[in-house]
Amino acid sequence: MKFLPGQKTDAAERSFMFQIDAREEGLLLVILRLYPVLENGYHRLSKDPQNAGSAEQRLLEESMAQQRAAHRRKLDELFLAPQRFFKQAAGGRRLILSGEQFEWLLQVLNDIRVGSWVRLGCPDLEASAPSAPTRASARYLEAMHLSGHFQMALLEAVK
Amino acid sequence: MPETSTPTILPDTEQEQKPKSKDQPDRGYLVICWNDPVNLMDYVTHVFQAVFGWPKARAEKHMLQVHQNGKSLLVRETFEKAEHYVHQLQGYGLTATMEKEE
Repeated sequence: MKFLPGQKTDAAERSFMFQIDAREEGLLLVILRLYPVLENGYHRLSKDPQNAGSAEQRLLEESMAQQRAAHRRKLDELFLAPQRFFKQAAGGRRLILSGEQFEWLLQVLNDIRVGSWVRLGCPDLEASAPSAPTRASARYLEAMHLSGHFQMALLEAVK
Repeated sequence: MPETSTPTILPDTEQEQKPKSKDQPDRGYLVICWNDPVNLMDYVTHVFQAVFGWPKARAEKHMLQVHQNGKSLLVRETFEKAEHYVHQLQGYGLTATMEKEE
């Protein structure tokens, strides 16, 4: 996936266009179906252990749950009508995102990346690769790397 | 935090804190972002820009503090504003907390 610069730059109407091939499009849709991966209980408002059962902590968890539900609804719209996002153009397929959709997709991909990392047991990613992944861990390892790949491709647009 | 680029470090552009007056609200809550090995450096920079409206140089400075020192103090705010920022940062998947200033 590659950012195609030269699109609208007006902040209100900002849009982002990416060149994407059919294989990447398929992979993106497959990993997006994993969302959400991160559990609501993952988030902590404070490092203070006394905060664990507080009203503020519950509010944070409710807020994250609401955000996830909203993100999930938008994903369902994407799965229902992918042609609203992916278009055929001269020279290949395009992924076209509004500014709001761009932020949404970044957040969704990051949930998949961080959530997969948590499910893998929070490994040190700079250490050597884990030996002999199981079928379950291989799924999350793949999702973590693929979501990172798509995040980096998206972030090229705002560099 | 996995490395994705090597940003240029520019001089600190933050303004110094003004002395408190009696009428000012209690801005004694610190919003801190903690390092983790999974969030991408460019992503963290982007989130700081999106949440706080910071210029890129300031966002990169804080991202590098997180990466190199394990954490960065992002803002000192009232309880409500600090809570709002933590919700935003966590919505983006960053490891951020608010702590009462000692």
